[in-house]
Amino acid sequence: MKCEQAEELISALIDNEATEPERAAAENHLRACPNCRRVYEWGRALNREIRAAGAGVVAPAGLRQTILSNQPAAPAEADSSEARRDPIFRLRPLVRPIFASALVLAIAAILFFMPPSGQPISLTALEIRAKIDRGEIPLQKQTNTDELHAWLRHSVNGEFGPLGYDFSPLNVKPIGATVQEVGGRQILVAVFRGNGLSITCFTFLGTEGDAPKNAAAFFDPETRISFYSFSRDGLHAVLHREGNVICMLVSDMPPEELLSLVRNSSPHKRHPVHAE
Amino acid sequence: MNQCMAGGKPPKDEEQRTFSHEAMTHLDHLYRVALYLAKESSDAKDLVQETYSRALGSYRQFTPGTNMKAWLTTILCNFFFHYRAQKKKWLSVEDNRADGEEPSDYWERLVSEKPGPEAAILVKELKEKVSDVLNKIPEEFRLPVVLVIMGDFSYEEAARILSCPLGTIRSRLHRARKLIYDELKEYMDIQERSERKNEVRTGGRTY
Repeated sequence: MKCEQAEELISALIDNEATEPERAAAENHLRACPNCRRVYEWGRALNREIRAAGAGVVAPAGLRQTILSNQPAAPAEADSSEARRDPIFRLRPLVRPIFASALVLAIAAILFFMPPSGQPISLTALEIRAKIDRGEIPLQKQTNTDELHAWLRHSVNGEFGPLGYDFSPLNVKPIGATVQEVGGRQILVAVFRGNGLSITCFTFLGTEGDAPKNAAAFFDPETRISFYSFSRDGLHAVLHREGNVICMLVSDMPPEELLSLVRNSSPHKRHPVHAE
Repeated sequence: MNQCMAGGKPPKDEEQRTFSHEAMTHLDHLYRVALYLAKESSDAKDLVQETYSRALGSYRQFTPGTNMKAWLTTILCNFFFHYRAQKKKWLSVEDNRADGEEPSDYWERLVSEKPGPEAAILVKELKEKVSDVLNKIPEEFRLPVVLVIMGDFSYEEAARILSCPLGTIRSRLHRARKLIYDELKEYMDIQERSERKNEVRTGGRTY
């Protein structure tokens, strides 16, 4: 065996990852080749140094406590800590009452539009997503985005259809779709997966009042669209309205990323609309 | 990166407490991997926090009895790659020599001798130098080193974590050693000679 051929075997031998035949071949070569023996010894020494360097890196003091305390002791506490990071809390004191009033009105509006019984349809959508993840809701296999959209639109007789989100930067692909009925309302559900991500796109007729009352609201001045972000059980969602259609993306990616995804991949971003 | 947003519910049952307890035993390892990925301590801390937030929020997806360290590391790596793809924030300024010309005389240079008067200082600096060099080599080679050599993962586990073929891990580790050698040769040679001298002085005993 030539030294060039032995190189990778020696590397695997150093990591104790060579197969038995490879080990035998490498050891034979090492017995006959002092240069490669030196390479082998150097590699083992390097492993020791790398491990020693790694052992010197420990989590900073306080990180453990931060992580444990970030697991919310109670939902209210978590909401509070998140809220303090919200830009509204950085507003000047004089502006706060205006926002507070607007918030009261918004909550009143949401309560008015919320179905009288049960939870908002958006939270039911989160439950649908969880059921899909658990395999409790079968999907109609759809691997082509255009066909998936057409199938969903056809399912509601063309009354409405999903938005043409562009998920190509994430390298996620359509997996399947389903139509669910909640309180007499049809929800179009499209599932995209890939690259370790799972994104579920919900589309239904409604208003911004379909967002949960504790959703954080963000206004995008460029598209003049309000986005509503909320979370439950490790799933995060961003909802916004397109005319009389509500579009809602659900994923386990962090809320700020999901918000960024919705803003940057929505058709409006590519073809901005103006004030209604 | 913003502070992580914990989406999981508080530990409320024994199963979750057990999971949380075991997960925290891997904190140093995760921080280590995060630091070699993100390179900045503040980003590494955010990465680790987000990893725990995700893991504790979806602990039921973990199969008890399987490799939790690998599971957590996978979450961390996936989040990092995704986050970087989204925000382009953590794009490190990589040394692109791996894509360039490969040293043709690697093996010959490895056996050459190069004595120097600063031997003691250089040996002392070796550990720091190892970290510097690791941060200097391209990420595609650095990660297998961090996972396999530093993190004690097998090639197979590292391949699963990075979603790549096992052969890729193997060849990248081999290539990584060459790259590291180019940077550390002087230090390693000197240390080796120093160790040899000690062996001679102590009648062949090693410490």
